Amino acid sequence: MVDISRVQKELTECNRDREVSGVSIALHDGANISHLTGTIAGPTDSPYEGGTFTIDIRLPGGYPFEPPKMQFVTKVWHPNISSQNGAICLDILKDQWSPALTLKTALLSLQALLSSPAPDDPQDAVVAQQYLRDYPTFAATARYWTEAFAKSSSTGMEEKVQKLVEMGFPEDLVRSTLKSVDGDENTALEKLCSG
Amino acid sequence: MGRDAEEASPPVSSSELEQEEDDDDCYLSDQEDDALEESVLQVLEDEHLEDCHWSCSSVITKESLLLAQREDLRKVIELLGLREHHARTLLIHYRWDVERIFELLDQKGRDRLFSEAGIPLQYANNAGPSSSTEVTCNVCFEDVPPSAASEMDCGHNYCNDCWTEYFIVKINEGQSRRVRCMTPKCNAICDEAVIRKLVIARRPDLAERFERFLLESYIEDNDTVKWCPSIPHCGNAIRVKGDIYCEVECTCGCQFCFNCSLQAHSPCSCMMWELWIKKCRDESETVNWITVNTKPCPKCHKPVEKNGGCNLVACICGQAFCWLCGGATGRDHTWSSISGHSCGRFTDDQTKKTEQARRDLYRYMHYHNRYKAHTDSLKQEAKLKRDIQGKISISENKESKIKDYSWVINGLNRLFRSRRVLSYSYPFAFYMFGDEIFKDEMTPEERELKQNLFEDQQQQLEFNVERLSGFLEKDFQNFTDDEVMDTMKHVINLSNVVDRLCKQMYQCIENDLLYPLRTPHNIAPYKSKGLDRASELHISWDSAEQSSKSTKRSQDEHRSQHGVHNNEYASTILGKRALELHGSSSDNRPRQSHKRERQDANGGGALFDLNVPAEVADKI
Repeated sequence: MVDISRVQKELTECNRDREVSGVSIALHDGANISHLTGTIAGPTDSPYEGGTFTIDIRLPGGYPFEPPKMQFVTKVWHPNISSQNGAICLDILKDQWSPALTLKTALLSLQALLSSPAPDDPQDAVVAQQYLRDYPTFAATARYWTEAFAKSSSTGMEEKVQKLVEMGFPEDLVRSTLKSVDGDENTALEKLCSG
Repeated sequence: MGRDAEEASPPVSSSELEQEEDDDDCYLSDQEDDALEESVLQVLEDEHLEDCHWSCSSVITKESLLLAQREDLRKVIELLGLREHHARTLLIHYRWDVERIFELLDQKGRDRLFSEAGIPLQYANNAGPSSSTEVTCNVCFEDVPPSAASEMDCGHNYCNDCWTEYFIVKINEGQSRRVRCMTPKCNAICDEAVIRKLVIARRPDLAERFERFLLESYIEDNDTVKWCPSIPHCGNAIRVKGDIYCEVECTCGCQFCFNCSLQAHSPCSCMMWELWIKKCRDESETVNWITVNTKPCPKCHKPVEKNGGCNLVACICGQAFCWLCGGATGRDHTWSSISGHSCGRFTDDQTKKTEQARRDLYRYMHYHNRYKAHTDSLKQEAKLKRDIQGKISISENKESKIKDYSWVINGLNRLFRSRRVLSYSYPFAFYMFGDEIFKDEMTPEERELKQNLFEDQQQQLEFNVERLSGFLEKDFQNFTDDEVMDTMKHVINLSNVVDRLCKQMYQCIENDLLYPLRTPHNIAPYKSKGLDRASELHISWDSAEQSSKSTKRSQDEHRSQHGVHNNEYASTILGKRALELHGSSSDNRPRQSHKRERQDANGGGALFDLNVPAEVADKI
């Protein structure tokens, strides 16, 4: 049912400039063309900067005449994305979908959504309230979630921090050093010792 | 209408008399020698006096559906210079409200009016890019020859396969009336001819459905047309011009309230009626009764009713418990030694709640009993109709001077109408003077005053309705001529009295009870001739032309066209006149305000004077 040739064209087209656009799409399990995985890079100058977000994409039978179903796999702290299950509130994934849009444009829209949330039309009311009432806390939480969930090397980040702090380095320095070396514990230690 | 017009006309009150004179002056000046005109005007006046909320309904059948919309389409096509499918798009977007379209044309201007509805401002050049170059479809990313692609009025071009697929999805989603162009952010509505052509090739069944959806838009996207709610559905729809708060009868015989599509329920408002039937249905009062009169058994939790004076109650499951507190009696809790027992302590709150529930229940029961009694009487009296027909035929064959028995039928019809009003006046009173809807609308003193006023009227009506019913049930076929004459006198007299009382009660309801409310609450007006029977659709093809002429001219034209002078003709004229009246006055009224202008005791004349501007007329 899904227009296979179109989806294949979309995949090649999208992945051609993945470095520039910051979005890419791959087959989820290699066999099923209607189940894909998208990734988007957290936009710069946002609390999501530096993170890589994974999105589960399912194409309905009527694709591209029906919108693709997208959901964040990576946990995100964002007014329009459920902090519980990653459900997305975005008009072009619902009634504003047009067959002339593509998976790439949809992912780019998600990227744009990350940099400019619409808290008046929230998916996650708690996040939206925080965004409106206490932006600094919101930004800090979002940054923390990005750090904790959207960075591949971030697994065990807190443990690493704790380890290095116990060695006698100040926590701020430890964090910034770890960040600069993409969370690699050993390089960070070298750096801390040398400088 | 023809039959009803034979009824004796009701005695007129002094204010009505004045009214009549005014109207006569106004009309007879140029038409005094025309006897027909007078009779027509008489009908006009009678109708108008009894309802300022004019409305007129017509039936739209499957066959006349196309015809019905043709008129509106033509107006828009002609006056805006549009193609038919654009005119339809515009009408669908603005809910088939031609007047509003022209109003908005002034306010917003042509460009905004069109773009909001999804009509491209400039038509793309349909000759399209020259033939030989291939077109890249932006949906399937294939190159196709121009012949295999279609361009919409907005200028966007995609291959036919993708269009078709897209249309099928949209029709299946029920979006037939608003199929937008596939280009993101393009608001344009697709050309119905292209949709038809492409879809029919692959899915003829869907093309048919598409067609039907478009046609039925006239019913579904239109505030002045409603499907007849008959079950099984008769296939008809009813169009009402004028006040949408009215009650109509479809040609299939189904009577309903046009505003809410439920059974006719005036003088209850739609909101009251909806609450009432829900209340009667969900037996919330039964639940109330149970809470007031029973206590749950502490063991099996079934509700237990106390049938004796002793407060030590035994449930049928064998468990004994204390009626006062509901706690189980047993080893700990006995009448001689009650440990942790709080029976004796007075809790104010609980008592109040119980008291309130009991009062609410009695109040509901009071109104429901009376409502039910009158509804039942109505059913009983339906049988009476058959009996009476039998009695009449016996009487007519009798050796007697009296040959005309139309008074019996007229009286019977009056009885039905007033019985109906009476029965719905009880749920009306239940809500009007209760806390459910109007809790904060009146002070208790105000409420009491108004309730007394209303109940006086209701009581009088009730009394006379019962008397009328009594006289109609008499076996007049066995009477002597004198007795028959006497009965006739009573029936005719009571018919008039009952009709007048109904009118007065409605006046009280509309002017004294509903009008002062802050939230508008409209009801279908009282019609002494019964519900509006929807007429067959009458389309005049030169209506646009006619509406520009004076009322008088259009009347004359009509007469010469038809040549038939009867009451139906009168109603046609009534329709036309009032339609124009309505049109001229509605312009000056805020459209969204659902509050009706007050029905003045002598307001009818003001409305009828075409020389008075509507805003002045409203103040009179």
